[in-house]
Amino acid sequence: MSQIKKSLKIENLKKIIMKQEFSSMLILLVMFVITAVLQNNFFERGSIIRNINAFAPLILLAMGQAVVILSGALDLSAGAALSLQTCILTYVMKQADPVTGVYALILSFIAAVLIGVINGIGIGYLRIPPVIITFATSYIWLGAALFIRPTPGGESVSWFKIFYDAKSAEGVPALIKAIGGIIPPALILVLVGCLIWYFISRTKTGRYIYAVGSSNDSAYATGINTARVQMTAFIINSVFIFLAALFFVGQNQSGDARMGDPMTLKAIAAAVVGGIALTGGKGSVYMAIVGALILSFVNKIIFFANIPNAYQTLVSGLIIIAAIASSMAYSHMNKKAMLKESK
Amino acid sequence: MILEVKGIRKCFGGVVALSDGNLVCRRGRITGLLGANGSGKSTISKIITGVYSADCGEINYNGQCVKYKNPNEARQDGIAMVFQNLSLVPDLTVWQNIVLGAEQKKGLGLDNQCAKEQSEAIINKLQPGLDISKKVSQLNPGEMQIVEIAKAISANPRLLILDEPTAALEQAQVKNLFAYMRELADQGVSMIFTSHRMWEVMEICDDVIIFRNGENVAGIDFHKEGKDAERIIGYITGDTKKEECQIGDRQIDGETVLSIKGMNYGKMLKNISFDLRAGEVLGIGGLAGQGQNELLLALAGAYPEMKCDAEIKGRKIKLTKPVNAVRNSILLVPGDRQLEGLFLKDSVYKNTIFPKLALKRQPIFTPDKKYRQECEQMVKSLSVKTHNIDTPVGTLSGGNQQKVVVGKWLSFDINVLLLADPAKGVDIGAKRDLYQYITDMVREKNTSVILYASDSEELIQYCDRVLIMYEGQIVESLEGCDINEDAIVSASMCINKAKEVG
Repeated sequence: MSQIKKSLKIENLKKIIMKQEFSSMLILLVMFVITAVLQNNFFERGSIIRNINAFAPLILLAMGQAVVILSGALDLSAGAALSLQTCILTYVMKQADPVTGVYALILSFIAAVLIGVINGIGIGYLRIPPVIITFATSYIWLGAALFIRPTPGGESVSWFKIFYDAKSAEGVPALIKAIGGIIPPALILVLVGCLIWYFISRTKTGRYIYAVGSSNDSAYATGINTARVQMTAFIINSVFIFLAALFFVGQNQSGDARMGDPMTLKAIAAAVVGGIALTGGKGSVYMAIVGALILSFVNKIIFFANIPNAYQTLVSGLIIIAAIASSMAYSHMNKKAMLKESK
Repeated sequence: MILEVKGIRKCFGGVVALSDGNLVCRRGRITGLLGANGSGKSTISKIITGVYSADCGEINYNGQCVKYKNPNEARQDGIAMVFQNLSLVPDLTVWQNIVLGAEQKKGLGLDNQCAKEQSEAIINKLQPGLDISKKVSQLNPGEMQIVEIAKAISANPRLLILDEPTAALEQAQVKNLFAYMRELADQGVSMIFTSHRMWEVMEICDDVIIFRNGENVAGIDFHKEGKDAERIIGYITGDTKKEECQIGDRQIDGETVLSIKGMNYGKMLKNISFDLRAGEVLGIGGLAGQGQNELLLALAGAYPEMKCDAEIKGRKIKLTKPVNAVRNSILLVPGDRQLEGLFLKDSVYKNTIFPKLALKRQPIFTPDKKYRQECEQMVKSLSVKTHNIDTPVGTLSGGNQQKVVVGKWLSFDINVLLLADPAKGVDIGAKRDLYQYITDMVREKNTSVILYASDSEELIQYCDRVLIMYEGQIVESLEGCDINEDAIVSASMCINKAKEVG
């Protein structure tokens, strides 16, 4: 009996190792160890909180992008939407009046839904290829952002800091400050992300996102409203962008119409590093977190390894290629092993 | 009467798919739809379920005039369809696919337990032992078809439309399906069933409606008028003239073109050796899935790890890369035309020139005029039913697509032509055109052909020699008069071997 149990366990272990996710996890672990070695105070509470806070925006954007990619699309307007959100938030908020912060939140959230709906209509109902429509809308978001805020700047209410560093935020109850000292706000936002992961894997719409991404025609023939599903995916992505924007404004206390641009491709890359197929339908949202963490750790490693400034970007590119290539080689090896076994 | 369809007309571009479609379906009865490829059977089924909309005509369902805009509306009204081009989502599991679009909620999430039980119950009747937690992309075509059928049944339809459900199935699966169909019919479910296999229609249907050139030409009630196969075939083909192009007993004494010795590939192919002469049509037969497809793929260089000694016209070659096979003019016409053989969105003409661009040494500017002529020629000699050669291949019917797949390779100097079930899912008329073209080519250019056909009749008619495969080995080689139904069947089942062992 115990022998059977043992063999079962080994079988399970094998299954876990065989999964492509395993290789990404492994790479993350390696990155984690290297960073821990390079950064002396890595395990101190302060630096853990700082790290998580620094990583959070990319994690949020990667999860949003993952939902869209799973539904078979791609969002090139994510960065521009992020910039637009920071501009809206800082435009509405007046430092002297704490209530404006609430108005800003509401307005920005409405804008987020609207952004998702516009992208979703273009893809789902007008059937414009995702790359084209989101490329086009990215200019619209940028235009709107520049209209609101031609130069970086603006102001923010002081309690907005709770989205970045609750301890130093002013005008918030002592309780929130105390919690913020123990649990960094970024972690709370990740919990929000987990809720949406639940939505993806445990609800109808969540499953339909996979179905539409895997085979749009089949999903349609089954009677799924594919346009609505794609629109939902974009709205979810938009909400993630909104959360990331709260974070940036909390940190910088200002808005910038161009700050989001480099984040678009970073978020897409994070999703792909996490093993989500660009063709849609394959992968899982939580692996986007792993991908985002890998990319973030690459930056950290380069920072702490004292690599000369001029070479930093070059080296980070090489590390990313090495990471993806080894993950691919690993899954290829596994496929071969599986084939041999089946023979 | 549950369904009455009157005077449906439908055009795709300039091609009339259905000119006058009429159909009646009664409660608890199975109505067969018969007809050649492109006669309008699939089209009328898709119009009933709202995949296409009709140009004119009316549909009465349960006494009401209906016009569905999409399959979902039809589904809600109790009309489910089993699609010929599968409507499954490859990255979801079997049970997720079966309940897709009709998930039940439980608490905060979905009721997965109930969905699994429901799926299990249906799958068990169709194919006991199929693992419902496998992803659909891991299944073989027959199993996918089973899942597709299960998905339609799970919606508890009152009218079930099955569009060629049996084409990808094996005998045992068909038996299970028919038993289940009878059970459903007894419960009062009406069914519309299309198939190319005559015996299936004879066995399961209560009445048949025959389509030809976009209209229904006859309806036969089996209970009143009896089952007369000859009469049905007459209606399908229009004229009963039976003209077959038999290669017959020719003397094959050309030089050896291809010689294979000791071909091994995993468990799929074991110790295969044979010689192929110039102008010979070599058939590969046997039960489905005994390594025939693998043999053709191996010859086309698809398996890098395959081991064999191959010689072409006395020269040693390595068959471990597709490019080696192609350079030596060994060309494969693949079996799955939609996946491997065609660019569906491109025109007939473009499809025919792709191989030319890839293989021959090309002039800098493509000689468009010359190629267009060659293409017109091919369309004419294969009698491909198309508006013109600039029509997208995807809009042609299955049989005509298959003609393009075969036709596009045939203007080459071919040493060995590998045909993987070229007539699968193709009607009698198109099949005749296809084989006529191939046999003409064999005669004129002295090309050698290796033909795998799942239908033993094709082997009997067109092959000079037939090799029977069983579990990856060649167990029998039949020649001349020995090529007949009995010999093929008994060799396929490996009866002799069984006797030896017993």
